[in-house]
Amino acid sequence: MSTPAALRPAARWCLQPSRMYSVPPTFLLPSLAANQQSSSFSSTSKSLYPRDNNRERGVSTQRRTGLRQPVSVSNNPLPQPILDPKKRSKVQVDETHGLWDFFHSKDKPMNTPEEDFAHGRPWSAEELRAKSWEDLHALWYMCCKERNRIVTEGGERARLGAGYGDHEANRRDMTVRRTQRAIKQVLTERYYSWRDAEEVAKDDPEISFDGDGPIYIPQAFEEDSVEGTSSKEELATAKRAQKKVQKEPIADDFYESEAVHAKGRKDV
Amino acid sequence: MKPTQALFRRVRRLQLTTKQVNKGFYKGTGSGSMGEHTKHGGFVINWNKVRTYVVPLNLKDFKLTPFVTRNMKPTKGRFEGDPKGALSGEAYLEKWKKENGDD
Repeated sequence: MSTPAALRPAARWCLQPSRMYSVPPTFLLPSLAANQQSSSFSSTSKSLYPRDNNRERGVSTQRRTGLRQPVSVSNNPLPQPILDPKKRSKVQVDETHGLWDFFHSKDKPMNTPEEDFAHGRPWSAEELRAKSWEDLHALWYMCCKERNRIVTEGGERARLGAGYGDHEANRRDMTVRRTQRAIKQVLTERYYSWRDAEEVAKDDPEISFDGDGPIYIPQAFEEDSVEGTSSKEELATAKRAQKKVQKEPIADDFYESEAVHAKGRKDV
Repeated sequence: MKPTQALFRRVRRLQLTTKQVNKGFYKGTGSGSMGEHTKHGGFVINWNKVRTYVVPLNLKDFKLTPFVTRNMKPTKGRFEGDPKGALSGEAYLEKWKKENGDD
């Protein structure tokens, strides 16, 4: 492109002593000069016609050119990494976050096999028969949460390559599943006895399914005080009076086994 | 499907695939259906099929665990003196009369 570089070989050729006699004819002089275009081919300014439409032309990460335009963070200095872990600021975590429930303790990712193995026996159906619906419902959820913990910590054990502990975790999981099985058994029993009770109630003289008035009319009370009168208004008023009398708590053998309750509470 | 005698046991222990049965086998992902596909390629969620999990209210204060202490022998064969089994219809009815009969 540049004129002196292009002229150089021609000049050297001319200046060679052996060839001094053979000077090229003057009409060849324009051809010896470089192909220098004095004016551009197009009359339009070149800057209006870039080579292509690539907006990132010339931007290279290898050559560290940087962006062509300044961006919003161009004036901010780059943050420097803190290599010393003691100088790093503590991550703020919600201490009462629900995700903590997926672990047995907050200070370590998983239980040791000994801790996993230190658990009691499953509930038996006989013990759970004494429990109310709300208790069984909550106990089922406690079982679900315990199983979540076991599975999460099993995953952590595999992820960290922590080694032994699968056997103990499986035993613990089996115990929880047996408790869940007992809960299901108790609820199934209750369902069937409810169905049976409906059949029994059809033959029960104390229970009327005719729709209006109370369903349950206590027989013994009717014989005692109302004596033969069986009009429904009188029965209803009598029942209201009886309800007042019955305010004191009924001795209930179904919910009586507090000993079982208390013992379960003490367990791990 | 009937595998040959030599393969009988081994093949039966494998998971069933669509190649082994006739029409109507749906493998699924165990996730359960939550609605219907439309013929235009959409999906209509049936909210009656969508699972709802009722969390007990007092779960924070709930003291029971899935485990019972091993110091206590498991209670077996206790039927509350009911000759008809764990909880018979008669016992249920009596209990209902005691607790909810007046409601």
